[in-house]
Amino acid sequence: MLGSVFLETLKQTWKPMVYWGVGLAAMALLIVLMVPLFDMQSVATLLESFPPVILAMVGIGDDLAIFTTNEGFVAVGFFGKSALIFAVYPVVMGMRISANEEDDGTSDVLLSLPISRAQVMVEKFAAYALTIVGVVVLIYLGLYVGVALGGVDLVVARLAEVTFYLIPLMIFIMAATMLIAVLARRRTVALGLVTAFVIISYMLQTIGAAAEGTVAETVGAISFLTYYNTGEILTQGFIWPQIAGFAGLSALMLLAALYRYEQREIAV
Amino acid sequence: MASGSIIEMRGLSKTYGSGAKQTVALRDLDLSVERGEIFGYLGPNGAGKTTTIRLLLDLIRPSQGSATIFGLDIRADSVEIHRRIGFFPAELSLWEGRTGDQIIHYVASVRGDARGIVKHADELAERLDLDTTKKVRDLSSGNKRKLGLVIAMMHSPELLILDEPTGGLDPLVQQTFHSMMDEYRDKGKTVFLSSHVLSEVQAICDRVGILRDGELKAVESVEKITNVEFTWVDVSFRDALPAGLQQQLESMPSITDVSTNGARVRMRMIGDFDPLLRAISSGYVKSLHVEEPTLEEIFLAYYSGDKEAS
Repeated sequence: MLGSVFLETLKQTWKPMVYWGVGLAAMALLIVLMVPLFDMQSVATLLESFPPVILAMVGIGDDLAIFTTNEGFVAVGFFGKSALIFAVYPVVMGMRISANEEDDGTSDVLLSLPISRAQVMVEKFAAYALTIVGVVVLIYLGLYVGVALGGVDLVVARLAEVTFYLIPLMIFIMAATMLIAVLARRRTVALGLVTAFVIISYMLQTIGAAAEGTVAETVGAISFLTYYNTGEILTQGFIWPQIAGFAGLSALMLLAALYRYEQREIAV
Repeated sequence: MASGSIIEMRGLSKTYGSGAKQTVALRDLDLSVERGEIFGYLGPNGAGKTTTIRLLLDLIRPSQGSATIFGLDIRADSVEIHRRIGFFPAELSLWEGRTGDQIIHYVASVRGDARGIVKHADELAERLDLDTTKKVRDLSSGNKRKLGLVIAMMHSPELLILDEPTGGLDPLVQQTFHSMMDEYRDKGKTVFLSSHVLSEVQAICDRVGILRDGELKAVESVEKITNVEFTWVDVSFRDALPAGLQQQLESMPSITDVSTNGARVRMRMIGDFDPLLRAISSGYVKSLHVEEPTLEEIFLAYYSGDKEAS
């Protein structure tokens, strides 16, 4: 029946979603509570003494004025620098779409039922995407709780775009993981490849940001993390072409995974 | 397709790898399973039984040949076929964090008509003495297999495909399972049951296919297979072997392969026990063990019999 796998996936995942969401929200909360500890003017003075290349590497770039606001500090210092942590949840969920069930053998039972492989995959993808939304909402709530608890002078609404930009980013990572897992077939191999993909992307983005006007900057452009520039999002709001890019690539990867999963054999 | 055939395999082959590393798992399989029969698919481990079943379920794809179930192509019509079959995998894995009830509801909801299916699942669970309120991770391997049987049978499918279903079940539950299979036959439903246990196949099947090294060697009625059956008999005497017993046994037409070890004698026997019991009555028999032949032995006996007949 349509939606059965979707609902079951949600039932099996709501607890991990809450755990991850609360964990990441706690990190957001702590960062907010740390804001009053910094005298942003002194931080600005200190940062001005740093070589631009170092500032670029840590994601601050030229616009020190953004970073030295409370919102900018949270946007760049927390959201910008925690990309690897945010990547873990979608990787875990992407592995669950096919690799985990194939490896532990439950896919034999599921795929012996009157449901196509494509339907299984699409319903799981949709369910896990929904849990990503849940995790991101919890992170956003963490910011609110931090402000309320610490009485911090921070307009959380200004961070809404930076926060919710995580949704297309994390769905993209999940889609990439799903595709790699479908191609690799084995959980361990897939996990290794996905980890390499995320870490290499992170390195390319970091190096690319530091080496403006060089080949490294061009290479950095192929890292998906380059398109989660929190300082830019804070000042410009949603950058729709980039969001469309994430959505389009996610859809393409989903289609490629569906095609391959339909064609290939289920691992024993 | 022959009228009444539920499963039809033609030239079905499966190879893994390529070149020097190529392994043939199944070679040119031609087999029909008729409506209303319980078909035993017999073979030692690694013979290709599970490969055949995974091909039928469209989990893996044939290298050559084709197969139909209910006249539908196993690849193009897999969803419709799956609607009408129940499957029990040899390596049963279920969602460890879910209870039996939750899994039953999940599978029933995928199948549709959840209410009717769940009601029947409850009846099956009761018959198999299965507690469905426990999480899978807390179930013994035998109880997990009971749950697997419930999932396979709860929608009363037209065809059951069971891969080594009774391994790990206690004898009482095996008996219940055998009764369930008899009921299936009585309702005109079909069962394709793979096993490497001859006695199980003998107890419940109408016909048997013998698979060896990926090749179907014979398809016979259970009676015919049983005709070539023999047993190994092991007799231990309290004292020494009675004088002249070995020669006496070797001269008996129903006994072959006599070997002795101290006060023990082992032999291969066909037919009734009475001549043997008379022969050994001259000594004090401490114990007598009867062993079922291995599948390989049955297979060899069957073929040597065929050759002799020809």
